[in-house]
Amino acid sequence: MTHDRHTETDGGATIDDEFLEPVVVDESEMGLPPMTSVKRWLLTTNHKDVGILYLVTSLFFFVFAGILALLIRLQLWSPGEGILSAVAYNQTVSAHGLLMVFWFISPLAFGFANYVVPLQIGAKDLAFPRLNALSYWLYLFSGLLFLVSFFQGGTLDGGWTMYAPLNIATYTPNIGATTVVLALILFTIGITMSSVNFLTTIHRMRAEGMTLMRLPLFSMSILLTVWMMLFAFAALLAALLILTSDRLLGTSYFAADAGGSILWAHLFWFFGHPEVYIVFFPALGVMAEVFQTFTGRRLVGRKWFVASMVLVAVQSFMVWMHHMFLTSINLPVKTLFMATTIGISLPFDLMVFALIYTLVKGRVRFTTPFLFAFGALVLFILGGITGVFLGAVVLDYEFRGTYWVVAHFHYVMVGGATALFGAIYYWFPKITGRMYDEFLGKVHFAMYFVGFNLLYFPMFLAWETPRRVYEYDIGLTPWHRLATIGAFLLGASFLVMFYNLYRSLSVGESAPANPWEYATTAEWAVSSPPPLENFPGRPSYATGMLSFLTASGTPAVSGGGRTDGGVADAHRLDTQSAHDAHAHHDSHASPWPVVIALGAFLALLGLSALKQGAFPEGVVGMVYGGTALFGSVVLALSLVQFGRESFHTSEPDVAERWPFAGVERTKLGVWIFLASDVVLFGAFIGSYIFIRVAAGWMGWEPVPHDPVPGLVNTYLLLTSSFSVVLALVAAQKRNRTWLVATLSLTFLLGVAFLVNKGLEWVELFHEGVTFSSGVQASTFYLTTGLHAVHVILGLLILGFLIARAVGGAYLDDERPVEYFGLYWHFVDIVWLFLFPLFYIL
Amino acid sequence: MGVVTGVETAGVPLHSQGLLPSGSRIAVFSEIFTVFLVLGTFVGVLVIGYMLYNAYRYRDGDHRTDDADRPVLGELPGDSGGGRKLLFSFSLSAIVVVSLIVWTYGALLDVESVSAQSADADNGVDVRVEGYQFGWRFVYLNGYQSNELRVPADTTVRLSVTSDDVFHNFGIPALRVKMDAIPGQTTETWFVADDPGTYQANCYELCGAGHSFMNAPVVVMEPDEYDAWYGSTTAANESSSANESSDDAEATTA
Repeated sequence: MTHDRHTETDGGATIDDEFLEPVVVDESEMGLPPMTSVKRWLLTTNHKDVGILYLVTSLFFFVFAGILALLIRLQLWSPGEGILSAVAYNQTVSAHGLLMVFWFISPLAFGFANYVVPLQIGAKDLAFPRLNALSYWLYLFSGLLFLVSFFQGGTLDGGWTMYAPLNIATYTPNIGATTVVLALILFTIGITMSSVNFLTTIHRMRAEGMTLMRLPLFSMSILLTVWMMLFAFAALLAALLILTSDRLLGTSYFAADAGGSILWAHLFWFFGHPEVYIVFFPALGVMAEVFQTFTGRRLVGRKWFVASMVLVAVQSFMVWMHHMFLTSINLPVKTLFMATTIGISLPFDLMVFALIYTLVKGRVRFTTPFLFAFGALVLFILGGITGVFLGAVVLDYEFRGTYWVVAHFHYVMVGGATALFGAIYYWFPKITGRMYDEFLGKVHFAMYFVGFNLLYFPMFLAWETPRRVYEYDIGLTPWHRLATIGAFLLGASFLVMFYNLYRSLSVGESAPANPWEYATTAEWAVSSPPPLENFPGRPSYATGMLSFLTASGTPAVSGGGRTDGGVADAHRLDTQSAHDAHAHHDSHASPWPVVIALGAFLALLGLSALKQGAFPEGVVGMVYGGTALFGSVVLALSLVQFGRESFHTSEPDVAERWPFAGVERTKLGVWIFLASDVVLFGAFIGSYIFIRVAAGWMGWEPVPHDPVPGLVNTYLLLTSSFSVVLALVAAQKRNRTWLVATLSLTFLLGVAFLVNKGLEWVELFHEGVTFSSGVQASTFYLTTGLHAVHVILGLLILGFLIARAVGGAYLDDERPVEYFGLYWHFVDIVWLFLFPLFYIL
Repeated sequence: MGVVTGVETAGVPLHSQGLLPSGSRIAVFSEIFTVFLVLGTFVGVLVIGYMLYNAYRYRDGDHRTDDADRPVLGELPGDSGGGRKLLFSFSLSAIVVVSLIVWTYGALLDVESVSAQSADADNGVDVRVEGYQFGWRFVYLNGYQSNELRVPADTTVRLSVTSDDVFHNFGIPALRVKMDAIPGQTTETWFVADDPGTYQANCYELCGAGHSFMNAPVVVMEPDEYDAWYGSTTAANESSSANESSDDAEATTA
């Protein structure tokens, strides 16, 4: 095992290779089968394994959605009839957009985020590894659900923007269209968990000395991305839940009257514009890392670069109406959103200049990752300039719905993806321990870059073509033919990539820990691939340079530094770290995430056939109903098992935690989750107010003519908030009887709330006020229904807590009771808003 | 040009000096688009050229002469300075972008001011445009309905756009007019056609299986011919025959 080879890096970082060999820890001892076993990939919760799963899965969806893109281009080869029917074309366009935006670009970026961010910040894993595995499986199964939709009478054909009211069952009656909406919901749930996880991780698990401002830029870009995701996807979830209710239960939010159409546009674009930056930011982070490594220069104006990113992340929630300039919004609002749009474009200028100036006085090496990052910047500049055209409202009026928009956002979004393709090459040696073939990498880049511009640039020239039409003006034929040729060249370039990567896995040269001169971040200071728990000791930047400390705090090995004598230290380190690993016994495997996701998949698949609250007649309905029931049972049982499973993870004793040093890990997770829940309820309440204003605020009669049941429920919930506080006190005083009694009281009050509500609803149904009795009933049932679902979820958790409290749990560690209390209080507070809004005003 | 546009209503003197875009929507679009195209191309070539030049100039070679402070593995992320140069370039680009957009803002005010005019203004023509799956219905003030839009040349045509069913978008590309057709709402826009002839209106928002074919003929007539034609229409004699009307249009252009 001993090599005399040293990894020489310019400037003095000398790391003895001995540290960089995979640390010999028996992974099977941690319940993890070897990498060659399929079982490992089903069970693993390790961030690097999950990262690989994300990468492979996202590339699968990339190929699938890419083939759809080629179908589009084949259809557009000739101006008239082609290979697709009108309906098939609409489905192809819609599925291509949804799969590329949701199931490809972001998940590819999150593959890298999973793999690299913990390494860069000096963490052993994410804060909640099992939740991370669950996020992945929800992602995969949501994608599979989408694929199933093709076989249910056709998938969604309303475009990726799913404008209302085309998105309701009246106009898109296919079961497949419903399935796509459900798939998006499942995806969004996974995304929300993932956001909570990354936020908790990055805010609480940074190595000593790595302050928030000192985050490596890729990790910084991911941090800002997940903050945006947390809020943006909550708005999307609200829109999707409302849409699902319209499609399944027959509520009438998005039907033609009372502003439903514009409501969808607001909800969708409130999510949709931040989504552009959610997709682009990780690419920007990759560009910054790759530029620094391959120019051998630190980023010019780093703090301005970071400030620009923060500014964009905040502003991204204030520009959505620029997608709606031709709706009925008035001139002052248009002017405001024109101004915010210009405002958000300017920080990007600064970031582009920062990257360009980093080249100056550098030692630029044109490796494959650099070519892709450099190419991405060129494409982004073109996308940015053509975006300024759209910022001028008068021009935007004419570009609306044309290929100018198509060309512009492909330059930006696929431009971003270009950097991510570079990231595949950049981190391939780290992930696989093998070098890729540099020549084939460059061939890929050349074909890709030429293909890209052949594909998208002619779209600017043929910009008069209306979007999403499958036949066009005959005079534009040459440009569309050129684009089709470019599309196939672009597609072919990926055959080269897949061949290169596949071949390199087995015959590629062995990758050293750090194959890239001038790379600085911590993932390059450990072996390729890194050991299961990442570091040979506790990473610390206390001295300004990375070093790995033993448990006693003495330096085990320096990741940078100029010391050269590491052999004696090395042996000490090996034994020490092995010892540490055994002492902690962190868990790395759990069978339940994949089962939970499978259960959710089946349950939603079954529900997709619901219409007006009923399954179709006959065998089909029984199969769907049975699938829904079976899936729900699997989901419920696996959730209980997930809760009961003993899964140990440890937090670093020493870490940078500003500004959340005083908030324990799980508590921070709960707070972050509640923040996104605030947006979810905010979107629901906002939708109700929007629709009520559109319908005439004063003429709107509250649906429950009797406010007494609502008032009683207010008292019930407030009392239950009090009893959950008593439960916490009982747990702190280690009084098991009182703990069980107060938790049970809370449970009973919650049940009483639901019973009271149930009686109220039954009475309303008897009076003929059902889900489909118009938009007033819709808003009432759906908003208070969402709250009721929160109460039910709370009761399920509470039942679990009671069962464990009876067994004597929580007396030594009352925190689960406290965190449940946070959730429960939140649910109560929401009711305090809903009661006046729906019963009194 | 002598057309009725909102220039007068906006009353900005700069228009007459030719500094701000003015005229019909076709002229305004073409002027702004050209300026953006020229400047955009210039900036693009400049920036990308500068990038390529520096990437080439500072390429890594065999002879590493400089001993600048290079990044080392394990250091905390830092920067290379250069903030002043960066902020200077940024300010320059901000000035270009902001002034360009502000320059177009006057044109936006023009476009909006005509839209905002009341429907019973003395001059111009008012037509209600109703989108449906999959076609367009044009309703005139006298109640006459048709599937083709007939308008007089050199006259402000005000459109009230709405939809019977789903979200559509009504646009006549050659006349540079476009507006969302939203069910349950009415949006206003306008245009002026300089030249008689037949144009095509399209749908610009995906609206279902027939989206690609959701077109309508737009016939621009000489004003006096239009008056004669309009005088002959009533609410009862609605027409949806496009062929007949396009023949008429050819006759008028000839």
